Amino acid sequence: MSTQIDPRGPRFGAAITATALAVDVFLSLDASTIAVSHALLGVISLSFLWGALRGPANHPYGYLFRKLVRPRLAAPKELEDSAGPQFAQLVGLLVAGTGFVLGIFGITAGITFAAAAAFVAAFLNAAFNYCLGCQIHVGLKRLKVIR
Amino acid sequence: MPLETRLAIIVVLVALSVALGLLWKARTGRSKAIEKGQLIDLAKLGATREGEAVRAFGKRITFLQFSSETCSTCKQTARVFQELEQTADDVLHIEVDITNRLDLAKKFQILQTPTTLVLDHTGRVTSRIGGAPKQSTIDQELGSFVI
Repeated sequence: MSTQIDPRGPRFGAAITATALAVDVFLSLDASTIAVSHALLGVISLSFLWGALRGPANHPYGYLFRKLVRPRLAAPKELEDSAGPQFAQLVGLLVAGTGFVLGIFGITAGITFAAAAAFVAAFLNAAFNYCLGCQIHVGLKRLKVIR
Repeated sequence: MPLETRLAIIVVLVALSVALGLLWKARTGRSKAIEKGQLIDLAKLGATREGEAVRAFGKRITFLQFSSETCSTCKQTARVFQELEQTADDVLHIEVDITNRLDLAKKFQILQTPTTLVLDHTGRVTSRIGGAPKQSTIDQELGSFVI
């Protein structure tokens, strides 16, 4: 199920996701663009769903990374297991998906807060190499939240 | 909402994320001294190196690193300790994967990986490092065990 991947791949994807989420927060703050922001959060949720189901390597961002970015970089010092980033995508899906569902029920603040929370996580991943989802995986396992 | 307010909210969100990132960066990989730490039982730990059970501690210091499958910085951490081991024969690095050893995660209260326990020559825990250790932290630990 899991494969060894270049750890910079998920960071590249997180940079795209963080940008999209920042735009989404901005759009969600005005009544005239709230519908667009709701739709965009839906698209971002689908992107997380893809990553959660198929893993970062089989995600379009992973493909982009291999085609456009990877050839310009030096070889990675070590590879990482794709299970961590894949789990992080599931965490992202839960957050973004919750915001999208709240939006359906007319709770537009839910869109803003979910997009903002997901932005913080994606930004930390892209800029600081801090993978929140990966970090809490063991903790959640220990607390028996996940198996 | 006025454009200025929306832009200000985005700026605050990014600034908050940067602050969180810097805070994490400053805190991670530092060691915390442990008073009256427990004695590690190598047999119960079940640690192996190159297929053989580890039976003795490092003559000066042992770095007991807990890793997991979904860990993004465990391999890098292990490489740093392995390089250290090659330059000093009284330093030992033991790596234990706790992905399926939740008993150990519970016993040592591990919520993030890598978590590294620093042991003296008798196997007593003297300090604990959460996250990928900073070079200065490793130097400091080595310095406190000069014989």
